Amino acid sequence: MPTNRRKFIQQAALMGGALLTSKSLFASNIVPVDNKEEKLVILHTNDVHSRLEPFPMDESKSAGLGGVAARADLIRRIRSVEENVLLLDAGDIFQGTPYFNFYKGEPEIKAMSMMQYDASTLGNHDFDGGMENFATQQLHATFPFINCNYDFTGTPLEGKTIPYKIIQKGKIKVGILGVGVELHGLVPDKLYGNTKYLDPIQKANETAALLQKKRCDIIICLSHLGDKYTDNKVSDEVLAQSCYDIDLIIGGHTHRLFEKPRVYTNLKGNETIVNQVGWAGMYLGRLDYNFSVGKNKKLEHSHKVIVRGKINE
Amino acid sequence: MKLLPVKRFIIIVLALCNGLFAVSQNTTLDYNAYKISKENRVDSSYIKMLQPYKDSLSKQMDKVIGFAVNTMYKKQPECALGNLMADCVRTMAEKKYKKTVDVGMVNFGGIRSYISKGDITIGKVFELMPFDNMLIIQQLRGDTLQLLLNRIAEKGGWPISGLTMQIKGNQALNIMIGGKALDTLAYYTVANSDYIANGGDDCNMLKPIPQTNGGYIIRDAIVDYIKMITEQGNPIDAKTEKRITYAN
Repeated sequence: MPTNRRKFIQQAALMGGALLTSKSLFASNIVPVDNKEEKLVILHTNDVHSRLEPFPMDESKSAGLGGVAARADLIRRIRSVEENVLLLDAGDIFQGTPYFNFYKGEPEIKAMSMMQYDASTLGNHDFDGGMENFATQQLHATFPFINCNYDFTGTPLEGKTIPYKIIQKGKIKVGILGVGVELHGLVPDKLYGNTKYLDPIQKANETAALLQKKRCDIIICLSHLGDKYTDNKVSDEVLAQSCYDIDLIIGGHTHRLFEKPRVYTNLKGNETIVNQVGWAGMYLGRLDYNFSVGKNKKLEHSHKVIVRGKINE
Repeated sequence: MKLLPVKRFIIIVLALCNGLFAVSQNTTLDYNAYKISKENRVDSSYIKMLQPYKDSLSKQMDKVIGFAVNTMYKKQPECALGNLMADCVRTMAEKKYKKTVDVGMVNFGGIRSYISKGDITIGKVFELMPFDNMLIIQQLRGDTLQLLLNRIAEKGGWPISGLTMQIKGNQALNIMIGGKALDTLAYYTVANSDYIANGGDDCNMLKPIPQTNGGYIIRDAIVDYIKMITEQGNPIDAKTEKRITYAN
């Protein structure tokens, strides 16, 4: 309890705007050392939409925000003090500034590779230059594109994506899968060609079950479904409530900045967390998981997740 | 599926082991969303990496084509920015296709940025409309137009020009075109993007209807429209004017 309280006070202080000085940035990371805990820091972006440079210094509310040079420096500083850092993106890397119109995604992917992203999924706008273009730009990527519900058989993207990836971070075995939004009615037909859209819930559950069987300590789904809709359309909310083994959904598509990650109960009665951080790279999301280690030396799979912290303005 | 006794036994043993060894502690999750702002330090290697791309873009993109009186963001059901773009679609379609266009429209999701008070550059227009969508026209019968407007109502209102309507639930009501109520049997010339006319953004009702497509990119139409207003000696000053409202 005192720990929680101290943490809360730290967070509250950060909300006051002290965050952006480097000293307070690192003060926020001082979590009491407990050798029964293993920590995983998950950094994430979504819908960056070719925003390589900050928004211009105009009269708008986004003036000066975003940009790869500032994001990369922040990521570098977090990596310098944290051991197990995972950097993920939930798609729509492309489209939104003239950089994409003229260079078709090359600098975007190069910048993400320089930042050492661990994985990304595909958003609908990542098809905007066509599938051949995506395949070409992917050659600049040092990280995989993960998706389990697009069947690319017979298209230029056949064999260019993977359904899941397991990454070892310290003692933690991380399973990552990815799902994408229905392309029909959203992406012009000719841009996605013969790509088959498969039921994201079914495919995500199949893939997550496989990762569970491979004894992953945490299973993360990169999703470009969108957080939630007023109609019955499939979304991160629906997925979170219809899955069995997914612990965390890193979302995108709806450009929503969550004040705090949303917590849902999945079909196993466990908690599935959903988070999304707006768009254009104006924010970098950070989730610090502190796993307790059981007596059998295995990481305790999350029974109950206590979410702390808030967005820093 | 029926389990054989041996398999059942193993499952029970595994369940027991889990129960014995698992220490039911909570996993904690601390959340932070860092604002990436110009107060952050930057990694200059990224600026270096971007420089050659940027240099060649700047020549074209930094060109000023107009001046905005106000900062305009996208907003539903109606906004000044959307009205500017829908008026542009209707006006430039009339110029391009040399005929009267009754209605011009833009899908809300197709507006990708804002216009800030001050100089408007070509680069800004690229951000506003990054897609290479074409400006097309279609002849829509009133009943089809009603279906399209219902879809627009359902989606919370899209920028529109030449038409006023009200939204009630998922329906478009009190539709007026050129001062007259919508006639379900009359034909209307509607200017749109080929993306929407091809059934994009759930507008399937438009898909079977022939398009006149002169290969004019909407982004170029916006640039031409802003230049035209500037050449007339005027700034960009769009307003909301109750084109789309909610009934009660």
